[in-house]
Amino acid sequence: MSVAYPSARQRLQGTGRSLLSMPFAYVGTVALLAVAYMTTPALVSPMLLLLIVRQAVPLAIAVIGQSLCVRVLSLDLSIGGVILAVSYILTSGIIRYPEPVLLIICILFGACIGALNAFFIVRIKASSVIVTLAMALILSGIVISLSQLRAPGDAPALLRYIGQARWGIVPIAPFVWLALFIPIGWFLRFSVFGRYVDAIGANPQAALLSGIPYARIVTTAHILSAVLAVFSAFVLVGFVGAGSLDIGRDLPLSSLVAVILGGVTFGSGRGGAFGPAVAAFMLTFSFNLLTSLGLGEPAKLMLQGAIIAVAAASYSAQRRS
Amino acid sequence: MRIPFDRSSRSGLRLSTFALPLLLFIALCFLSPSFLSVQNLGNISGQVAALLIVSLGQLVVALIGGIDLSVGSVLSLATTIIVSVDPSYAPAVALLAGIAIGLVNGIGVTYVGVHPLIMTMASMTFVQGLSLFIHPVPGGTVADYLGSLATSPLLGIPAPLLWCVGAVGLAAFALSKTRFGLRLFAIGASPPSAARNGVPVKLYSIVCYVICSVAATVAGIFISGRVSSGDATVGASFALDSITAIAMGGVQLAGGAGSVTGVVLGTITLGLMTNGMNLLGISPFLRTAATGALLLFAISMQRRNVIGV
Repeated sequence: MSVAYPSARQRLQGTGRSLLSMPFAYVGTVALLAVAYMTTPALVSPMLLLLIVRQAVPLAIAVIGQSLCVRVLSLDLSIGGVILAVSYILTSGIIRYPEPVLLIICILFGACIGALNAFFIVRIKASSVIVTLAMALILSGIVISLSQLRAPGDAPALLRYIGQARWGIVPIAPFVWLALFIPIGWFLRFSVFGRYVDAIGANPQAALLSGIPYARIVTTAHILSAVLAVFSAFVLVGFVGAGSLDIGRDLPLSSLVAVILGGVTFGSGRGGAFGPAVAAFMLTFSFNLLTSLGLGEPAKLMLQGAIIAVAAASYSAQRRS
Repeated sequence: MRIPFDRSSRSGLRLSTFALPLLLFIALCFLSPSFLSVQNLGNISGQVAALLIVSLGQLVVALIGGIDLSVGSVLSLATTIIVSVDPSYAPAVALLAGIAIGLVNGIGVTYVGVHPLIMTMASMTFVQGLSLFIHPVPGGTVADYLGSLATSPLLGIPAPLLWCVGAVGLAAFALSKTRFGLRLFAIGASPPSAARNGVPVKLYSIVCYVICSVAATVAGIFISGRVSSGDATVGASFALDSITAIAMGGVQLAGGAGSVTGVVLGTITLGLMTNGMNLLGISPFLRTAATGALLLFAISMQRRNVIGV
């Protein structure tokens, strides 16, 4: 079989196409930084940028799990509920154990919630959106009613340190993200599990027919997503320094938007790990920019809604053509 | 009347659909002495009316295999429009907004091909932002005529009950006595077959989403008249509540099976649960958790072959 080498023109077209298929987050981040530089130059000082990077860490951690779910054609909207519950477990003093044990309990709790989500999605075959929304409802309902008995208090010292300490001017929270991001990204890229995830995302029917352990992969994705939500909660609780009842409320939606902006699309099997991470920074930055321009929560919600709609529509249009 | 309880029935009604509200009713009669008082029953109808109207809209979309998560935001938007626009044409503006959102949802789902859950989640988020933009802080004044429409009884019948009867009558008539209703079941059972038999599937689907948004708007107008203020987050719980209510009522979210009777029963089940927890002094937040559990239970009864969204 002879191999046809691409001509110069074809190669140029290829480059153009790969530029176009680059995650929107890369272009978007550059554009946003430029806009911020022109409207509110104070926002792009290194000091503030580092703060925004730190602020983006909980979202960036949650995004790793969410992108895994989206890649296997599922969604996890229970992240907010998990974060709320973890924050309550850590800060209310309802369970009295040394801090490290408490952290392990939280991780196990996250794994249980993820497994429960996966059970309903994989075995009962219920819609992941509805299952995870119901789970968030259950968790937040229980936590809020419990907190009438025992209000949340201070965060564990270890987490406060992680959330607030810096080395020089560099905050240490982003290193928590790196410690999770690098191994998971490497694992997804080079392991069989990662290939399976790609296969399911590209064509679920084909994946099922070729004997890929579909149920196990989706289950693992959901358990990982919930456990990562727990880590995101650790950083978030550390930041705030105390428990709160609206901690992590906007993370489920923001993480979904970041995944979409990061170039992971529903059912194309495409998408790396780095795009969503950049998108997490971009979103956090854009929320700060919106706030500095005097547009608060409403603009944020409208922007997110529009992003989901446009991204989903353009993906559907592409698939049809 | 013989009620078919088998799984293949088009109404989707099962024994549990009837048994659950009945059991709740009997249990509450014993557990709480004030449950059967006229005032409490009036309260229940007031609490249930808005959810019933929204759920009937949700039913119309569910019959064609769709779903609408944006109903709660649309309801909130309607209450904010009612208090922010000139009272003489505020309801008309609210209805127009509802129609517009329904059109966007419908076109997004049918012509662009976006998954209904994703499409309506996007519009839910956008409309929530819009409502907060229009009316950030709960409050405002509602025109007297809207207040009296939602609260003053007619011939001794409480106003909320009249709204319920009107909505149920309209839905029942449209679904069982018109060609439109029959065709919805056909689309839900199999869109390609319906299309081959000459049903304009896309047009009908869009109309369904518009009806659903309009129902949510009407519920919003009712609520703003009842509590005489606008609140951009008042509808937050309605999306999942309405899905729980229709799923409890035996409506198949995959489409093709469902009934107005089922939706009424499902809504009453939720309403009785809320009211019962109130009467027994249980935290309203636990009620949220209970709704979530009920939703998980109800969707476990649904048949579906796909894993994922």
